[in-house]
Amino acid sequence: MLFWIIIAVLTALVAALLLAPLMRAPKVVEEETSGEAEVYKDQLKEIDRDLAGGLINAQEAENARAEIGRRLIAVSAQSARSTAAGQTLAHRIAQVLVIALIPAVGLGAYLYLGSPGNPDQPLEARLANPGNNMELLVAKAERYLADNPDDGKGWDILAPIYLRSGRLGDAELAWRNAMRLQGVTAERVIGLGETLVQNNQGIVTEDARAAFQEGARLDPKNPRARFYLALAIEQAGRRDEAKAAFEAFSKESPADAPWQPLLKDHIAANSGDAPPAAPGNPSAADVQAASGMSAGDRQQMIRSMVEGLDAKLKDNPKNFEGWMRLVRSYAMLGEKDKANAALTTSLENFPATGQEGAQLVTLGRDLGLDVEGATK
Amino acid sequence: MTRKQKRLAVIAGGMSFIVAAVLLIMFAFGQSVAYFYVPGDLATANLQPGTRIRLGGLVQTGSWVQGAGKTSTFEVTDTISTVKVTYTGILPDLFREGQGVVAEGSFVAGDPVFVADTVLAKHDETYMPKDVADRLKAQGVEMGGKEVVK
Amino acid sequence: MIVETGHYALVLALAVALLSSVLPVIGARRNDAGMMAFASTASVALFGLVLLSFSALTWAYEASDFSVKNVWENSHSAMPAIFRFSAVWGNHEGSMMLWLLILTFFSLLVAVFGRNLPESLKANTLAVQAWMAVAFILFILLTSNPFLRLDVVPAEGQDLNPILQDVGLAIHPPLLYLGYVGFSVSFSFAIAALIDGRLDAAWARWVRPWTLAAWTFLTAGIAMGSYWAYYELGWGGWWFWDPVENASLMPWLAGTALLHSAIVMEKREALKIWTVLLAIIAFSLSLLGTFLVRSGVLTSVHSFATDPSRGVFILGILTLFIGGAFTLFAIRAPALKSGGLFAPISREGALVLNNLVLTVSMASVLIGTLYPLVLETLTGNKISVGAPFFNLTFGLLMVPLLIATPFGPMLAWKRGDLLGAFQRLYVAAGLALVAGLVFFYLDEGGPILAVLGLAAGFYLIFGAIADLWYRSGFGKAATGIAWKRLIGLPRSAFGTALGHAGLGITVLGVIAVSTFQTEHVTEMKPGETADAGGYHLVFDGMNSMKGPNFTEQRAHFSISRDGQKVREVWSSKRLYTARRMPTTEAGIATFGASQLYVALGDPMADGGIVVRIWWKPSVLFIWFGALFMMAGGVISLTDRRLRVGAPARRAKKMPTPALEAAE
Repeated sequence: MLFWIIIAVLTALVAALLLAPLMRAPKVVEEETSGEAEVYKDQLKEIDRDLAGGLINAQEAENARAEIGRRLIAVSAQSARSTAAGQTLAHRIAQVLVIALIPAVGLGAYLYLGSPGNPDQPLEARLANPGNNMELLVAKAERYLADNPDDGKGWDILAPIYLRSGRLGDAELAWRNAMRLQGVTAERVIGLGETLVQNNQGIVTEDARAAFQEGARLDPKNPRARFYLALAIEQAGRRDEAKAAFEAFSKESPADAPWQPLLKDHIAANSGDAPPAAPGNPSAADVQAASGMSAGDRQQMIRSMVEGLDAKLKDNPKNFEGWMRLVRSYAMLGEKDKANAALTTSLENFPATGQEGAQLVTLGRDLGLDVEGATK
Repeated sequence: MTRKQKRLAVIAGGMSFIVAAVLLIMFAFGQSVAYFYVPGDLATANLQPGTRIRLGGLVQTGSWVQGAGKTSTFEVTDTISTVKVTYTGILPDLFREGQGVVAEGSFVAGDPVFVADTVLAKHDETYMPKDVADRLKAQGVEMGGKEVVK
Repeated sequence: MIVETGHYALVLALAVALLSSVLPVIGARRNDAGMMAFASTASVALFGLVLLSFSALTWAYEASDFSVKNVWENSHSAMPAIFRFSAVWGNHEGSMMLWLLILTFFSLLVAVFGRNLPESLKANTLAVQAWMAVAFILFILLTSNPFLRLDVVPAEGQDLNPILQDVGLAIHPPLLYLGYVGFSVSFSFAIAALIDGRLDAAWARWVRPWTLAAWTFLTAGIAMGSYWAYYELGWGGWWFWDPVENASLMPWLAGTALLHSAIVMEKREALKIWTVLLAIIAFSLSLLGTFLVRSGVLTSVHSFATDPSRGVFILGILTLFIGGAFTLFAIRAPALKSGGLFAPISREGALVLNNLVLTVSMASVLIGTLYPLVLETLTGNKISVGAPFFNLTFGLLMVPLLIATPFGPMLAWKRGDLLGAFQRLYVAAGLALVAGLVFFYLDEGGPILAVLGLAAGFYLIFGAIADLWYRSGFGKAATGIAWKRLIGLPRSAFGTALGHAGLGITVLGVIAVSTFQTEHVTEMKPGETADAGGYHLVFDGMNSMKGPNFTEQRAHFSISRDGQKVREVWSSKRLYTARRMPTTEAGIATFGASQLYVALGDPMADGGIVVRIWWKPSVLFIWFGALFMMAGGVISLTDRRLRVGAPARRAKKMPTPALEAAE
């Protein structure tokens, strides 16, 4: 409301100011030549000064005077042109123009271009009252950590958040800082492993494997460490060993553990009759094939897998993790248009106002995608 | 001299200055204009040794060798052909392998190595020398959208 | 709310500018006092609204309001406050806002200080200014709106290009724009005079202070930009003949020519058409300078904001204003009566020579800058025209100017005495040659041609002094009288002398640094030493530092001379964290007007680091010269003659001779 009052006052002020010269009684200006005449008179005086100062001689001064004199005469000879008639009418029209045009153009164009009612959001105020906006909480923590880089607890809190929001480089750094300052725990080292895996498009690299091994040593029961270690074997192409590892893990887990279906998939995948691999996580066969491929072929394989995921999400769009992976994959492949399209569709399913949507927005921004277009 | 002659003299003087300037500009163009090439053009370009050119492309990954202190060698590629370049001096801050670069200099007779006296790298994260981007695009190399100045 | 109010103010400014571009012209045609007065009132309102809008944007930057897209794209909360402030115009949208702000500011100045201009001239001039305001506001609102908001508000901005995070950026663009946009006033005066059909000696006097002000700002802007590039880019160069630099040099050359031809027009009513043409050219080149950079047509190290989608709009504005102005000029110019006659050897003749040289060298820069563009459009060939081209053409073309400059002020109007001027100058020339030789001897090395170059610089300085000397009659009259006369000389005489001497000083710096500078590139390990310019550098070691939004590796050098430690410098490589972008911060030690310039290269595997050391003798003269020129501009602006019937005199109630005499 206050905003509209300000706008109304501003508009009225400007209109009133502009009306002022038009409200005065109409007047015809005498063709004004006094300005010019004054300039020439001053030039005449300058000649006197130059003459007195010895800068020019008498002859030169006389010539110059004659010349300026001619200009003076020419100026005063100009007669005044005047058109008195119709001024009142012209002023009326001008007044109407001012009164009509100022608010019309102002409001019309503003309503078209502006975002009325959109409040200011200075950062300090937002940080002071971040609510449950994850990004702001993170920013607040980051600010704190920038000043106190040796606060291990801060890093500990940030690391999983980074991982979830896809800021993998930051996540890796945060895990490492947390371990450096707070000591190595299974939770931290496994988190680091997961970060590394995500950062390598789902491949369990040697670094990651070492991390999971360390995690398994510290907490032998940890299901994530066990799963990823088995996956590493699978990805290395040793199918029988992998199958054995998954089976052992499955047996030791409670029958109603949420990860049982996943294990079943992998056990099946490593058995003789493999169903199509889950998109995103390449099956052992895929990986094996990939390692013998040229770069172009490998790219092709990844592409077909991503397209598989895309198709899957079309049927089942409520898969948040799937969308995150798809958007990232397209961006990694350099297919910006598809990445933008995926981002747009994902945001239709997970509105940007929600927490999952916000994560998608953050991801899009990190990847340099057209977040504005996608949120519209 | 009469008034007319004076005026003619002034005009003649002015014109001769302008003519001299035009000749000078044409001469300077002949001396110092450098054409732009990507490595793939060089085979067909038939360059005389010593001709100044600008060579643009990407710095081949793994090709950058820092010599003794001042001289670096690296390879410029358009992903199809590659040219070896030597440069003495400090490379720009943003010189990186895999990134766009423009080297200015010439070939020495009988040597396939390009001797650069100026090396320009992209100037910030979103800048890619326009020439390089255009030519690489023509060669079918797509840069990540953000990298290319359209 | 603040941001939205700013947006609304900008929209409202469009409405005001629209009215102000129509009503005053009608008023001027009909001799309607009210409608003409409308121009002044509207200029005040326009400036107020644009200022409000600009302040709102600035507030958004200072408060890091990332709900504003423009702020999010170009700012970062960790940036120091000064850079958050200068970041407002460190990007395309903001810099257009600054342009607009300055444009309306100049309109305001004309409205306030132009009280004694003829009403119709003033109304038309302000209307032309308003046309430009309309074009710019539309451009900003439709293609480069800095007030667009984000629905999802990020927590942190993307940071400003680190190269632009420098005090230089805080000052350079505003100065440059004050210069560019200042020429809009000369342009508007020219168009108004063409519309009105009245163009006389008085017009030239009215237009001169505006030209002079714009020229002074532009000189400052160019010098500032050059110094900024010198110390910030870390290449040790001070002029790169980069398209952006050329774009600022061209209006400067045209403006310098305009400054001089307006004198002829004021004194003799000659060169009328030429002066109007120059006024149009100077501003056209300013527009070209603003937009060639902005459109991304010319890609250069400066093009930190490029977007082809704006190109069409920009082309439209350029065509409209430049094309329109030249069309109007072509229609009206033949009707203008030409003025007084003069001999080739005369003050007028010298000023014509000045104009000829300046415009021809400007043309050479224009050709060199645009030729690659034209060639690429026509044939698809990509070429680059580099520094050698400009050094050769521009350098040689300016030579006659350097020789002729001291003659100008010594020649009389109408018919001058060349021999007399020679007699007065040969002492200066002789002294200059000696000074050149002495300088050369002290700084031996470099080609013998340098002596001539240095002599040219000294000759300009001595020539400027000689002019004042003879004008006050030293040697002829008694010393006491001469002193009195010197003090009594018009301020513009001092302005001329300072400007011309400033040119000489700059020439000295350019010649000295380009012939005597030394450059070493060497690999150094802590404890190792290097020599440059008679100084001895010791590389003491490296350490790490953390700035507000960057981390840096800095190297410490101790500088000694003859065993005495005289200075120490830090030279560093920074990494700006938000953009992961490295920059080089050169270490510079100043000795008198000379500098040692130390830049770091890449660290080597064996713990050493590549170091580049320049010895730059007398390099600061380049910018001292510019300071002199600016001082000349400022002093000329205070000349009482320019105040008659022109700006700096607010209340002119009684233009009577009595008042004049009292001054």
